Amino acid sequence: MTSLAKELHKDICEKEIFSGIYNKYSKDLHNFLYYKYGEELNPNDKAQDAFVKLWENCKKVKLSMAKAFLYKVANNMMLNEIKHQKVVLRHQKLKPRDYTNETPEFLMEKEQYFKKYQQALSMLSGEQRVAFMLNKVEGKKHEEIAEMLGVTRKVVEYRIYTAFSILKNELEGFKI
Amino acid sequence: MDKEYLIEKWLSNQLTEEELKAFEAMEDYPQLIAILDNAGQFKASEFSSMSNFETFQKRLKTDQKPVRKLSWIKPILRIASVLVLGIAIYSIFIFNNTIKVQTLSGEKIEIELPDASKVMINAQSEIKYSKRKWEQKREVSLVGEAFFTVAKGSTFDVITTEGIVTVVGTQFNVKQRDAFFEVTCYEGIVNVRTKTFTEELRAGGNIRFSEGKIIQGQNTSEYPTWLKNISSFHRMPFSQVIAELERQYSIKIVLDEVSPEILFTGGFIHNNMDNALKSVTQPLSLKYRMDGTNNVILYPSEK
Repeated sequence: MTSLAKELHKDICEKEIFSGIYNKYSKDLHNFLYYKYGEELNPNDKAQDAFVKLWENCKKVKLSMAKAFLYKVANNMMLNEIKHQKVVLRHQKLKPRDYTNETPEFLMEKEQYFKKYQQALSMLSGEQRVAFMLNKVEGKKHEEIAEMLGVTRKVVEYRIYTAFSILKNELEGFKI
Repeated sequence: MDKEYLIEKWLSNQLTEEELKAFEAMEDYPQLIAILDNAGQFKASEFSSMSNFETFQKRLKTDQKPVRKLSWIKPILRIASVLVLGIAIYSIFIFNNTIKVQTLSGEKIEIELPDASKVMINAQSEIKYSKRKWEQKREVSLVGEAFFTVAKGSTFDVITTEGIVTVVGTQFNVKQRDAFFEVTCYEGIVNVRTKTFTEELRAGGNIRFSEGKIIQGQNTSEYPTWLKNISSFHRMPFSQVIAELERQYSIKIVLDEVSPEILFTGGFIHNNMDNALKSVTQPLSLKYRMDGTNNVILYPSEK
């Protein structure tokens, strides 16, 4: 692992290293911004801005601190723009041919379910939503999420639980 | 088992086999599972994704290379700063910035502090203060007696072994001789603090800690008389009077069948010893004589 040790001390100002960082963290960073702040504020754009900032500060940021830097910068950029806008996440439209056995009524119900689900997700705080989605949809472990958010693992567990409880309450009436 | 407990454990993937069975047996189990299953419909990658590195690269302006020039300046600056730091530390230790002023017997000195405050120091006394720290904290330690004229500004502390006097712009006298501690305020407000007692003095106020007693009084003079080379006393234990005589004249006084606890009211001048001795002895019906070795012996006149 000596090459790794050398890597950690290398200047991230080198294109080769930097592109490695980009490829490693960009998708997760994007998803983080997407789940927390939604589409409207263009998470792709903001995530890239964060990487630009990292490049501008490449002399000052060590490789080991790059991830934390990116998340902090990206989150701050979003916070600067968001004015308590409600976050609405899109859900995939159900394609009728996937449900050949189902009646139109069933499909309608399902659509209503997802509408309600969408509303419920909007009710969550950004922090609750991002923790829940990263864990349950992206399969990220609690420790990973804790690191991204800069909180403890227990806080992440708590946020997931709270998010789930709200979803459960909102979706109470529906029988799938 | 508590429902919420099971849900919590389930969300954290911490269910035991037994707990899992209980969870699956719950009435709304299908709905709970559905929430997680259907969350996938909101997956980010369906609606928004991250540009690849090539696309991203276009954002970095082509001429924007991280500044690499002047890389030789950094090491030199580093070395320079270490040198400066070293010299500074050296100076702190070697060039001690504590100013100490000491008066001998019969000596009076006036000094000016960095903020133009003035201190008149009586005989056999010592003032210490740190010139360097003066701007942040005005603190003077005193052994003996001094009269302070403090310039307006932040709090000014006079620290003696018997107590601390705190003022903000004022004139006051602090006298500490062994366990005797007396503060007189001539102008402004002064806060006096000992281990067991705190008191605020206004102009004309006086507080004395002596022989376990605290005496508060008034002092109507404008300045302590010793500034004008006269020591004056009001109901002062004779031992204190004698001690002051010794300080002003570099003599040693021996009491022969005279109680050092008598309360003396009166004064003596600083530039004529015979006159001074007469002033001290006559009110108490005492006489004095010299022996060969600069000692002055006081004894009752009936003797």
